[in-house]
Amino acid sequence: MATSAPQTALAIPGQLLGSASKYQPGPGTHIHESNLYSSLLGAVHVVQPAKAPGPVKRLTKITPAASPAELPTISVSRSGVSEKREILPEVGNTVLCRVVRIMPRQAVVAILICGDTVLDAEWQGLIRVQDVRATEKDRVKIYESFRPGDIVRAEVISLGDQASYYLSTARNELGVIMATSEAGNTMYPVSWKEYRDPETGLGEPRKVAKPY
Amino acid sequence: MADRRRVNGPVGATIPPVFEDEDVQVQATQRTTRSRAPNGIRKMYLKTGVTPSASGSAYLEIETSGKDGVSGLKLSCTVHGPRSLPRLSPFSPHIILSTHVKFAPFATKQRRGYLRDPSERDLGTHLEAALRGAIIADRWPKSGVDIIISIIEGDQGRETSGAQGDDTWDMMNALSGCITVASAALADAGIDCVDTVAGGVAALVRGSGENDTARIVIDPIPSEHERIEAACCIAYLPARDEITNLWFKGDMPDHDMGIYSELVQQGIQASKLANRVLVESLGETVK
Amino acid sequence: MAPNQHVLLSPAELAYLHEALSLTPPIRPDGRAPTQFRPLVAETEILPGTNGSARICFADGTEAIVGVKAEVERTRGYHGDDEEEGGEEKREQEREGQDEWVELTVEIPGYREDDASTAFLAAMLSEALLADGGFAKKLWINRRFHWKLFLDIILISPPLSYPLPLLSLTTHLALLSTRLPRLKSEGDEDPFFDDDWAAAPYLYPQGTATTRPPITLLVMAVGRNIIFDPTKEELAVADVVLAVSVGEAATDASSTKGKGKAPGRSLRLLSVRTVDPPSRVTPPGVPNATNSAYGIAASAQKQPEARTVEAQAVEGVWRAPRGGAKPAVMAALVQKVLERGGVADEVLDALDAVELG
Repeated sequence: MATSAPQTALAIPGQLLGSASKYQPGPGTHIHESNLYSSLLGAVHVVQPAKAPGPVKRLTKITPAASPAELPTISVSRSGVSEKREILPEVGNTVLCRVVRIMPRQAVVAILICGDTVLDAEWQGLIRVQDVRATEKDRVKIYESFRPGDIVRAEVISLGDQASYYLSTARNELGVIMATSEAGNTMYPVSWKEYRDPETGLGEPRKVAKPY
Repeated sequence: MADRRRVNGPVGATIPPVFEDEDVQVQATQRTTRSRAPNGIRKMYLKTGVTPSASGSAYLEIETSGKDGVSGLKLSCTVHGPRSLPRLSPFSPHIILSTHVKFAPFATKQRRGYLRDPSERDLGTHLEAALRGAIIADRWPKSGVDIIISIIEGDQGRETSGAQGDDTWDMMNALSGCITVASAALADAGIDCVDTVAGGVAALVRGSGENDTARIVIDPIPSEHERIEAACCIAYLPARDEITNLWFKGDMPDHDMGIYSELVQQGIQASKLANRVLVESLGETVK
Repeated sequence: MAPNQHVLLSPAELAYLHEALSLTPPIRPDGRAPTQFRPLVAETEILPGTNGSARICFADGTEAIVGVKAEVERTRGYHGDDEEEGGEEKREQEREGQDEWVELTVEIPGYREDDASTAFLAAMLSEALLADGGFAKKLWINRRFHWKLFLDIILISPPLSYPLPLLSLTTHLALLSTRLPRLKSEGDEDPFFDDDWAAAPYLYPQGTATTRPPITLLVMAVGRNIIFDPTKEELAVADVVLAVSVGEAATDASSTKGKGKAPGRSLRLLSVRTVDPPSRVTPPGVPNATNSAYGIAASAQKQPEARTVEAQAVEGVWRAPRGGAKPAVMAALVQKVLERGGVADEVLDALDAVELG
């Protein structure tokens, strides 16, 4: 039965991929009457589940039984058909963005890269003052965290309102990754809250991302 | 509503050419008759990815009826997006579809203006209904997609006189082409669809003879028939056996409901045939 | 979009409403039977400055006014009188109308006049009117002149439900009450009319039930149920919505083989259009199994493109319908409208009861 979806087969929208009891739906597929169908024009990929879950960890939280992870995931991807593939930022994605404008309560950013993909369309994001860092949220000042022109790594926490996605930098590895000083030089990070200009030696406050 | 930005020609001053030559009158009496089988559609050419700047695009051409002076249908469709919605629009958990269908000014016998007229808007609404059923809209929250179709050449014979009239039948043919080409362009743009939707037209036609009985043909060319009694244009999803858009026009007494359902069946048949072309063309783009 | 105006119902409410409407028999929020119309108030000839007019007020307060105006216009494409005078029967044959003799405009407050949905409504109404080709013929005066009929449909307030049935019924009444001045001139000379309004004949002759303007009914299906005259809330959970235009068939044609038929008018199907159901753009519900607030930790660092996980439909959780409708459902909807003694019949009876003038 494994032949029903060979690895490199081409699918067109509406093509039957297999029963929903044999595969888990991945990107580019949809379920209709307990069958999986393709919803994109592209190549079919079947990914076997990574591995059997290791020694059972003690759960710190009671969760409903996880979905049966043993099923292989079937997906249809556009790779090979066309390089152009619009994707949208989604909750949980890590994005790179440029700060456009700062206000006392929020920073407006333009989302440039979502995951590994450069976005064609421009999507607006918003980092609210309470989402800048995880601790001492009440002391956060936007102008001490971001400046227009900074490149920020952030995580999408909500689809937000009609205009912008809501982003958060409240983790160590999130924050400003590239900054320019008032003198116009590219700065280097010196601590979790400061960037320094190599020429003038002046420091500027930022919410600095932890380098990998 | 005048368009002040462009220098338009005088309003209503152009009159479509009326040919009253003898040969034309001969043609009019022996009008082209349909040589295809009643359940066969015209050949069509469909290619995706013709406009590099758009997210997805497709071009559709339907052959002429094999007669000089009769043009086929030529459609070009571009899909732009998904992209962010304008700032003032409200939050939407779905993709917002906007369809624009425009006849080129030279596409039809009667010149069309640059602004969309009500019939073109009407076509756009039909197209939107047909496509919205096919798209999986919740995959793309907060975004919009523009589907723009230019009808480069409408399907109008030159010798058919204006009095024959009703261009609804032409509109139905154009709509079915629009649906097919837009479906191909959507697949090219990588927007999630439940199925490939294709359009089909079936018509109840009557010949010129006195004793001709009405018969049902698919993919009708209005100039080939003396009179079209009723027609329907259908957008159909073959894998799910579902109709996303149905447009019927005609005059059908209630005791003829059998004919109506037969007409719908034949419309579905036409759409299935168009869908075969669509599937084949989509398969070719990948190689 | 007029049919897609925002309905303020939560996914849970939508799921509940959908379930109630799919029961047999369906339970509608206002307690109506599936084929029952909402009450309405109608009157005709309210505008003395028009050739015909009507006003209908729905119980929910939506109100439409239609005014019909006629103007004499020179027929295009008439190239002098090079023909010899034909007999009267030839003249009758020549009587043919053109669709552009009728101009129908719809105005809905809150919508631009070039809005696609307004154009769709206007196209739907005029399509039904002109479908049989007989209507335009009534506007023929002689070979050189014809009446040009302007039908202006105005909605007084922003619509509280999809206004199609209201507009159609109002147009129907306005056309029934339309009178054109009596022609006094003969032949192809410049037309000259009787200025006595009382002598003006009706566009649709009274008393003979053979010809009447068509009516357009909005009908929707939820599951296996067919529901007429849906409200805005009901439309928000519809699987498929059709606008069906019917006219009355000439009685002489069908009465010849009328034995064993159910009593009632025999109807003609003039046009069918799918209306994009607003249910496709309703917000979906989140089942417990994927609700992060309920205990499933949102998997951190999702891969891009791993969009909202596809899930099987969960009962009680609203999901906007995908795809279209089965052909059988579409056929059943049309069949139900055309049923003898059915809803269309009732509506026509009710409109008959509206006295003219």
